[in-house]
Amino acid sequence: MKSKRRIVFSVLLVLILVGVAASMMVIGRGHTVYFDNKTLEDYQGQTYKAFEKVVVTVKGEQVAKLAKRDRGMSVWIGQNFKMILEVTREKGDESEIHEIDLKLPYNVDGIVVNLPALLAGLPEEAWFSEFVPAVTEEAPEEEVPGEGDEFGLGGDMGLEGELGLGDV
Amino acid sequence: MSKKTNLPAGKRALGLVRNNAVSIMFIVICAVFIPMAGFSPSYLLNEIVTRMGRNLFLVLCLLFPIMAGMGLNFAMTLGAMGAEIAVILVADWQIWGIPGMVLAMILSIPFSIFLGFICGTIQNMAKGREMITSYMINFFINGWYQMIVLYIMGSIIPIIHSSIMLPRGYGIRNTVSLLNMRQCLDDLLAIRVAGVKIPVVTFILVALFCLFIVWFRRTKLGQDMRAVGQDMEVAKAAGIDVDRTRIISVVMSTVFAGFGMVIYLQNIGNLPTYTGHAQIGMFCIAALLVGGASVERASIGNAFLGVILFHLMFIVAPGAGAFITGDSMVGEYFRVFLSYGVIAIALIMYEAKKRMVKSRTGRELAEAQTLSEKEAAQ
Amino acid sequence: MSEKKDYNYNSPSKFTDEMKTIPPVRRLTELEKAQMTPLQAMTASFGLPRMIITGFLLLLLVTAPFVGVDLPTQITNIINRFSWNAVLVLAMVPMIHAGCGLNFGLPLAIICGLLGGTLSIQLGFTGAMSFVMAVLIATPFAVLLGGGYGLLLNRIKGGEMMIATYVGFSVMSFFCMMWLLLPYSSPTMVYGLSGNGLRPTISLDGFYNQTLARLLEIDFAKIAATLHIGLGPLERIKIPTGSLIAFALLAFLMWAFLHTKTGTAMTAVGSNAAFARAAGINVDRTRMLSVIMSTWLGAMGVLMYQQGFGFIQLYNAPNNLTMPTVAAILIGGASVNKASIPNVIIGTILYQGIVTMTPTVMNSAIHMDMSEVIRIIVSNGMILYALTRKTEGVK
Repeated sequence: MKSKRRIVFSVLLVLILVGVAASMMVIGRGHTVYFDNKTLEDYQGQTYKAFEKVVVTVKGEQVAKLAKRDRGMSVWIGQNFKMILEVTREKGDESEIHEIDLKLPYNVDGIVVNLPALLAGLPEEAWFSEFVPAVTEEAPEEEVPGEGDEFGLGGDMGLEGELGLGDV
Repeated sequence: MSKKTNLPAGKRALGLVRNNAVSIMFIVICAVFIPMAGFSPSYLLNEIVTRMGRNLFLVLCLLFPIMAGMGLNFAMTLGAMGAEIAVILVADWQIWGIPGMVLAMILSIPFSIFLGFICGTIQNMAKGREMITSYMINFFINGWYQMIVLYIMGSIIPIIHSSIMLPRGYGIRNTVSLLNMRQCLDDLLAIRVAGVKIPVVTFILVALFCLFIVWFRRTKLGQDMRAVGQDMEVAKAAGIDVDRTRIISVVMSTVFAGFGMVIYLQNIGNLPTYTGHAQIGMFCIAALLVGGASVERASIGNAFLGVILFHLMFIVAPGAGAFITGDSMVGEYFRVFLSYGVIAIALIMYEAKKRMVKSRTGRELAEAQTLSEKEAAQ
Repeated sequence: MSEKKDYNYNSPSKFTDEMKTIPPVRRLTELEKAQMTPLQAMTASFGLPRMIITGFLLLLLVTAPFVGVDLPTQITNIINRFSWNAVLVLAMVPMIHAGCGLNFGLPLAIICGLLGGTLSIQLGFTGAMSFVMAVLIATPFAVLLGGGYGLLLNRIKGGEMMIATYVGFSVMSFFCMMWLLLPYSSPTMVYGLSGNGLRPTISLDGFYNQTLARLLEIDFAKIAATLHIGLGPLERIKIPTGSLIAFALLAFLMWAFLHTKTGTAMTAVGSNAAFARAAGINVDRTRMLSVIMSTWLGAMGVLMYQQGFGFIQLYNAPNNLTMPTVAAILIGGASVNKASIPNVIIGTILYQGIVTMTPTVMNSAIHMDMSEVIRIIVSNGMILYALTRKTEGVK
């Protein structure tokens, strides 16, 4: 009897842990959001001009102040992205404030948002693009590790291997 | 206990000094070194508080195997390795901040349980040699860890982001950035007192862990563990499943070491993939011993005092070494020497004491026997 | 249970019982042997892990030519490495025999060798003379430090291995400081700019680099040249005869010693301390002698290693030799309290064979060098296996 209760108990515990882990995977997914204040040319025959100045505030913190053709960046955990934009359309105009909610796709790490297109209310495909980090071709300088452990015998069987703190 | 109180005060003081020789030695060393190193008190305080938050959890993990009489668990690194695998996966899945930490902790549990179980089983096969065995297990599993991280990750276990992979297309880089997890726990509700940042939530976690340990000692399992630690034969006679209890103690130590490692890594902010765990065991054990623990007895207080003293020494030693000899490397080596030396001394004292007790019982037995033989002759 | 029994060895009557019930070394009975198939018998006497390792090495040797690895060069490498490491492995024997367990405190012995080597150079000796002097200088250090080490180990019987490990570490890190602080001044050894503190790696060119290896060296290429015949791939084989002779000499001395009265006493102490004490052997002195021997051999071992390798390595380097050495003798068939000269030879060949062959063969075969990881797993797995096996007699 006791063992049965025990099994139920541990199964429950495992389930709870799996549940917590799953929810963490959803709410903890981090994204990097980039904002472009850039003219979107010739989208279905129309051009959406860049704003004079945009101030982006995320979570009460001013993350970017964008002039024309600038790009700003912010990190966000979760999928319901919220930001406040303070937009000055033309030189001398009064600034207007927009509160924006975005649904970020789960699988995308970096999201580029074109602000003029977004504020013009265009469909997603117009303002959304995925940020692809430039592949920096590094020289394979990184030593394959495994050596330099407690008694690892470096490249040539420890003959010229790690000398720990020896190299001053 | 009653015997102790009957001793004269002078002898008692001497006993106190002898029992805490290592701690006292470290207090003296720190007292001498601090002025030499010339750090400002606020800097020292800040460092100590940070390092307490970083290491206490890990050091406390060592208490379980000591409770079960298995000595210093050099294999606590297994938990650290499990946690590192979990952290790599979490970093690759881009789960950030506190959720990332929680996920890493949960993910580390199966690895830790598995590794801890192996470790406990092997240690049961080598009773009486648990420590050297745990020390070797640590290296053995490190080989498998490297196999997984260096060859299997990226080739069999899918890794999405090439930024954490070696340029050759499989295997993880020497360092994995945990920038998005960096100090997320420490900064949560952190308060500053006179320029010293206190990571409140981290300390709350440590406090909860301490409470858990105190509570655990009183549970049936905890009592069993202590009974096994006192005397395996007696425990077995009392109907305790000795092997199982010992395995549980190692598994618990490993699982909590995994949690501790996640806390440690979020504080550091990046993961040195192949060297991160290597020294953890040694430093944690040295810290615990500096706090006045021995191979068979350790308390939460030992862990706290030990972390403070050991890390204070660690911070000031290079500066003091440079001050004395004009070469900061000497200080570096000196602190390594002290860490090793403390462990060596603690082990020697433990074995010498064990031997003394052994020979005393032997002598008593022999005396009793000769006595009975004499009686028989009469 | 057996642990409990050991406590009683102060009472003479209990002993005789033990002597009857537990023979010092348990061997397979004839009946047990008769019931086994040949394969089983072989596994039992040879040990499963050792079989696997031997099989692995054979597999490497067989596949080597097919994946384009030059076998003669590899064999030369194995022989070379054998000659560097064999004496170090031999250093394990006395302590195992005397029941002090595996000498994880090898760094201590290595430090003695390093002191000998560096002091010999510091005093201005060069060429072969520097090797002789290194041996002579290392000896008193080995006797002194080994004696202290033995004294310590006698006080902590039963916990030798763990303590040896950390004593080794402590001594090593202490000497890390000493290498910086001792007043060495030979320009070949100290840092060029500051002029104080030894370099981590010191070249032995002009000192005892290859001193023994060159002695009577058999170089097939030269033989072929003088005889004007082509020996084909065999020409790439070189045999460091001098080093091998030196090892053979030391190994023979060790073997001879183990057959003297003191040597048998040592074996008796190792297999059953209670038994030995009852037979009137001074256990502590025997153990002490074994530790000193082990330390001295370790010091000689590292000098041999340096003369083959051509460099002195200081600071944390001594640590790098401990585990390979311990693993080698265990792979050779030794256990925590039993070791013989054949164990040393077989173990060193197997271990060094794997260390040499795995990287080249694996690299050529699958373009993935997993040798380092394999080496870690094999050597530590072997040590673990030895630790978990029940040992006969006194632990």
